[in-house]
Amino acid sequence: MTWLIWRQHRTEVCVLGLLVGLFGIALLVLGTQAQDLFPGGPARCAGEAGLDEGCVASFRRLDEEYGYVENLLAAFYLVPVLVGAFLGAPLLARELEDGTWQLAWTQAVPRMRWLAAKLAALAGVTVTLTGMFTAVLTWFRQPFDAWEGRFQYDAFDLEGLVPVAYALFAFGAATAAGAILRRSLPAFGVAFGAFLAARMSVGLLARPAYATPLTTMEPVGAGGAKDGVGADWTIEHGYADATGRRLSSAEYYELEDAADRAGANLNQFLHARGVQEFGVYHPADRFWTFQLIEASLFVAVAAVLVGVVVWRVRRRMI
Amino acid sequence: MTAPEFALRTDGVGKRYRKGWALRDCTLDLPAGGVIALVGPNGAGKTTLLRLVVGLLAPSTGTVEVLGHDVTVSTPQTLARVGFLAQDHPLYKRFTVAEMLRFGRACNLRFDQGLAERRLAKLGIPLDRRAGTLSGGQQAQVALALALAKRPDLLVLDEPVASLDPLARHEFLQVLMGAVAEGGVTVLFSSHVVHELERVCDHLIVLNDGRVTLTGDIDTLLAEHRLLVGPRTAADLGRAGTVVEAVHSDRHTTLLVRDGGLPAAPGWQARPVALEDLVLAYLRRPSEPSAAVTSGVAE
Repeated sequence: MTWLIWRQHRTEVCVLGLLVGLFGIALLVLGTQAQDLFPGGPARCAGEAGLDEGCVASFRRLDEEYGYVENLLAAFYLVPVLVGAFLGAPLLARELEDGTWQLAWTQAVPRMRWLAAKLAALAGVTVTLTGMFTAVLTWFRQPFDAWEGRFQYDAFDLEGLVPVAYALFAFGAATAAGAILRRSLPAFGVAFGAFLAARMSVGLLARPAYATPLTTMEPVGAGGAKDGVGADWTIEHGYADATGRRLSSAEYYELEDAADRAGANLNQFLHARGVQEFGVYHPADRFWTFQLIEASLFVAVAAVLVGVVVWRVRRRMI
Repeated sequence: MTAPEFALRTDGVGKRYRKGWALRDCTLDLPAGGVIALVGPNGAGKTTLLRLVVGLLAPSTGTVEVLGHDVTVSTPQTLARVGFLAQDHPLYKRFTVAEMLRFGRACNLRFDQGLAERRLAKLGIPLDRRAGTLSGGQQAQVALALALAKRPDLLVLDEPVASLDPLARHEFLQVLMGAVAEGGVTVLFSSHVVHELERVCDHLIVLNDGRVTLTGDIDTLLAEHRLLVGPRTAADLGRAGTVVEAVHSDRHTTLLVRDGGLPAAPGWQARPVALEDLVLAYLRRPSEPSAAVTSGVAE
């Protein structure tokens, strides 16, 4: 079986391995140069320490010289998805397309053993490739993370466990779609679409609700707004009146207009009226909890999809 | 003495797809040994029946027993005893012929690599060519060599020659019959071509519209049926045994009867029927439940 699986899927595995390898080398080269900007290592500049003069200079140069790479990489959360879907789609669909399922399942290897071997091998390759991809990417993003935290979409979706879970989700979806649609390319498309839909709703709706967010509330200082940059994940930000009632944007603009008409400085105007500034956020140390929750979510769905495939093959519905 | 082994027994087998029933009430008892032809028009359910026999599909109703084992409980041992050549003889197109043989070796308990190589060498099929670049006839031969190298007790072939040109068809059947002659293997194959069956087959199953309309040993079937030719008449048909088909021309009536004697009326003659005419007559009959006629297996 090992030989057969390798012979059937070596093209996909080699192409993906080569692409991930090239990508890794490019990032290692760029990353080494980027990390050289931080004499004591980027970790030293994380958090409050990042406000010292040397670190600020390093961050500025990092943004100027490698900011474009960071922006480019934001879209790379789709790479694990491509890997998973690319390996999963042909698993059954190609056999069904070419009629070779009738050849494969009438040899002396029972179909469930055949399926188990294929699923294990290709899911293993998916995890290995995306794991390597994620490791390199996480390392590359270290200086950026020191500055921005790991909760932004361009960090959270690219680091830790989540990308591997995305890949397994795509693998399961593509395999199941292939079993039902009996065509590789549509199965690939369906898996990709299913991932985008799932990721969109999870990212926007579910992720902020994995835990109860914390709220800060403090009076607007007369001097100016506090600098909001930090590693925490701010999901809401606004103003409240002295009693703590949150102001709608219309009410806030009224205050702004009133300040204009009075010719007063806005901050002083707000300070005088006891207006408070509030922030709803998840603290940075929740990163791994959130990673674990989101990864479990996608892996669970992947397991259900693989279950559908197993059930169909077992019931001889293919 | 052991009871004669049945190659295939089905009991009330039906298969329903989403569109409807592809096969209904299929009950068959086929002895081991010899060549069994499964005949029927396109869409009659032949492929469904064969896929049920090799365990690729599970029946919606009834049971399928091959060589004494329920096919839906497949183990390496039961799978090893049955060879299957699917329609259009699928192969991994990007594998070389040698790799196809390696596939056979990797996925089987017993695989006679030497036998397969000798067969392919005899046919001049190079081992280093990719399967997809071979001609249709050569691909069929590679698929057949793979199936035969398993040394199966039952070899099932779905329309093995339908897509081949006459020369390749002849060569294919020659190899197949050679393998049968070497002994041991029961062959079950489907075809929508009726002629030439007599020469190669011992047993016949006629499938029409998802139902078995005729099954039995070919010699017995031919002995049981006869054509009666007489003056044109629309009446008296009941007297001549079971009338399978009545054809009226301007002046004559031709009856295909089963277990029938000559009518007492003057001017009637009895003639043996050719296998092809027999099959065609059963295919033309509107299929109805309980129309299946069984013969020849009971001892």
